[in-house]
Amino acid sequence: MKKFIIQFFFFSLFSFITYIAVIFIIGSIIPSEFTPNMSYPIGSKGNLYTRLNEVKSVKNTDVLFVGSSHAIRSFNTFDIKTMGINCFNLGTKSGTPIQVLTLLKRYLNQLNPEILVFEVYPDTFETDGVEAALHLLANDKIDKYSFEMTFKSKNIKLYNTLVYGIISDILKLNDSHKEDKVRGNDTYFSGGYVERTNSYWTPRKIKSKHIEFKEKQLLAFIEIIELLKSKKIKPLLVFAPVSPSLYESYINIDYFDSVMNSYASYYNFNKTLKLNDSLHFYDNNHMNQRGVDEFTPKIIEILLKEKTRTHNNVYKKLPK
Amino acid sequence: MLFNSIDFAIFLPIVFFLYWFVTNKNLKLQNLLIVVASYLFYGWWDWRFLFLILFSTIVDYSVGMALNTESNQTKRKVLLWTSILVNLGFLGFFKYYNFFLENFVTAFSFFGNPINTQGLNIILPVGISFYTFQTLSYTIDIYKRKLTATKDFIAFSAFVSFFPQLVAGPIERATHLLPQFYKRRKFDYALAVDGMRQILWGLFKKVVIADNCAEFANQIFNNSADMNGSTLVLGAIFFTFQIYGDFSGYSDIAIGTSRLFGFDLMQNFNFPYFSRDIAEFWRRWHISLSTWFRDYLYIPLGGSRGGTWMKVRNTFIIFIVSGFWHGANWTFIVWGALNAIYFLPLLLTNNNRNNLETVAKGKLFPSLKELSFMLLTFGLTVFAWIFFRAENISHAFNYISEILSISLFEIPKFESPRDARVALITIILTCIFVLIEWLGREGQYAIENIMIKKPKIVRWTFYTLIICFISLYMKSNESPFIYFQF
Repeated sequence: MKKFIIQFFFFSLFSFITYIAVIFIIGSIIPSEFTPNMSYPIGSKGNLYTRLNEVKSVKNTDVLFVGSSHAIRSFNTFDIKTMGINCFNLGTKSGTPIQVLTLLKRYLNQLNPEILVFEVYPDTFETDGVEAALHLLANDKIDKYSFEMTFKSKNIKLYNTLVYGIISDILKLNDSHKEDKVRGNDTYFSGGYVERTNSYWTPRKIKSKHIEFKEKQLLAFIEIIELLKSKKIKPLLVFAPVSPSLYESYINIDYFDSVMNSYASYYNFNKTLKLNDSLHFYDNNHMNQRGVDEFTPKIIEILLKEKTRTHNNVYKKLPK
Repeated sequence: MLFNSIDFAIFLPIVFFLYWFVTNKNLKLQNLLIVVASYLFYGWWDWRFLFLILFSTIVDYSVGMALNTESNQTKRKVLLWTSILVNLGFLGFFKYYNFFLENFVTAFSFFGNPINTQGLNIILPVGISFYTFQTLSYTIDIYKRKLTATKDFIAFSAFVSFFPQLVAGPIERATHLLPQFYKRRKFDYALAVDGMRQILWGLFKKVVIADNCAEFANQIFNNSADMNGSTLVLGAIFFTFQIYGDFSGYSDIAIGTSRLFGFDLMQNFNFPYFSRDIAEFWRRWHISLSTWFRDYLYIPLGGSRGGTWMKVRNTFIIFIVSGFWHGANWTFIVWGALNAIYFLPLLLTNNNRNNLETVAKGKLFPSLKELSFMLLTFGLTVFAWIFFRAENISHAFNYISEILSISLFEIPKFESPRDARVALITIILTCIFVLIEWLGREGQYAIENIMIKKPKIVRWTFYTLIICFISLYMKSNESPFIYFQF
């Protein structure tokens, strides 16, 4: 028995080291299309790499925007800043509450916002968040929160990507990565917003769907609200405009609204702002610049109204 | 609890530790630990059905004890039939009640007497077909005086519920497994290491081969009306490897786990897809069930004695019953009958025992003749699996008729480029798997002897590479084993 335990221990050790080496080699040389459980999407759509590089030098904002790609492509920080509101858009591609929580734990103290605008989109409460977690692991530093997020998702793909990310961090392989600010029809603006040029989009019919919350996403969402309360930061929940064809496909949107309303101030812009599928969107989910131009004054209006409730009735000054 | 779950990965080391470090001095305590662990293992799925196992255990233990002391032949027969009726009664109710009801109603409706009735919403207890047959072997063997009944209720309970093989076999004979519970087990290093190796290979078969093949087998079978012939052929091949990887993978993990506890279970699969004829295939596929039917059904019916028609009748009975054992659906019955049709020419020409040795033993490559026979047998098997997997008979016939159409010569279609890419990866993985199985076909399982004579560092690297393959290509969700439903 003693021999078995000793041999098992040494095999485990050997196996662990070899496994890490194999993951690193495979991650470096084999395209992720051929390794379903290993993906390192550095520099993916939505300029996450640039955004997360930029956020490291940002401090003391008035407003912080978080959420999914809807946040990235809806909150025009460039225009909002012109109104004297110091803000940053920390949205992540496919970001679910689990990823938002990770980012807040990592950057909230440093960004120290008065108001946090959390873009809430029903689908992000229904997924396991693996895709967004992969993006975060590949485009940001690895720390204890990365481990926390990975273990919450319990997915082998994330474990492998975390292993690759750790080695990548140690060897500083990401430091040399360059991401273009203009990629195809997208333009990244300092402050985290990504603009999509106008085009005409033909909507397609979407199957009706029923919103069901995943327990772990709802728990992460509640943890975010608690975290904000403990830091005396005002949360604003915003369901940013999606194409009417997508919005109408949700059967129980009232249920979603009621859940959101029970946690914080909630604005469903799909009810108040009437946009057109073809004119204001470039796909089912995201607005083009024409749509964002309609939406931005509305969000500024809310932020200015909220301003009166912040201490001293002023936001912090924009850095010169 | 699933073998391929985190729960089992925690459960196994705890039971292993308690077994060898806490209860090792007392055989009764060790057996009791097995019973408790087994009930916990089974109850993890649904604790209510534990009462069913307990009831079967009590009935068969009592019948065994009574058979031991009873000399009156009529009374012995009554006792045996009590055990058979109780066990098969449970099996019949949980597994076949709705099937018989539906067919009864259909038959009456056909003759113009429609009956309005509703089936019951019955949950099939996992593994009922396996442990029922195992306990039946106990009472039948005592009745035939091949075995003496045990007085040790704990040992008998451990035999019935032994967790590695409780839910999907191998279906052990009481004559082989029960005596192992009477003897004090000593930890055997070589046996335990071999067990670990077999668990690793079983896990690879299940989570890499079976689960990946399952994705496409399900996609293709579930949408077969929209698929062309070549895609349907691919779907049948995917299912062929899914069911083999799934079931033999389970058996490997079960046997390997038993070895960690000092038990020896029978080999359940012996590289069936390298068979040169259907008779050889059936000597190598689900061996514990085939031999059970041979010993407790085929031979009592007269076996191959008593003339040609007797042989034909008995062959059909055993194959049809074997098909029906898998599930309450006509597809399984047709699958069994089809295999009987494959088997009969060999039996009637006395060629059913031609290929008893491993193919191309001691050689790297088979001869052209061997290869041709292997491919032919494989093709027949794939064809039969279509019935096994189909939802119903008409689905199977539609599936086959599309294969036999001109669309067979089209390029296989997949739902998306991503699916086509993953299917290609699955085919490559399956080819690697078949190659390893071929190289290791003379062992009890493929990697038993591969690399065994190489230096430790080479062996360990090989095993670690298997772990890496598992990690890189396994499906993220814990999918249950196919045979749980049987």
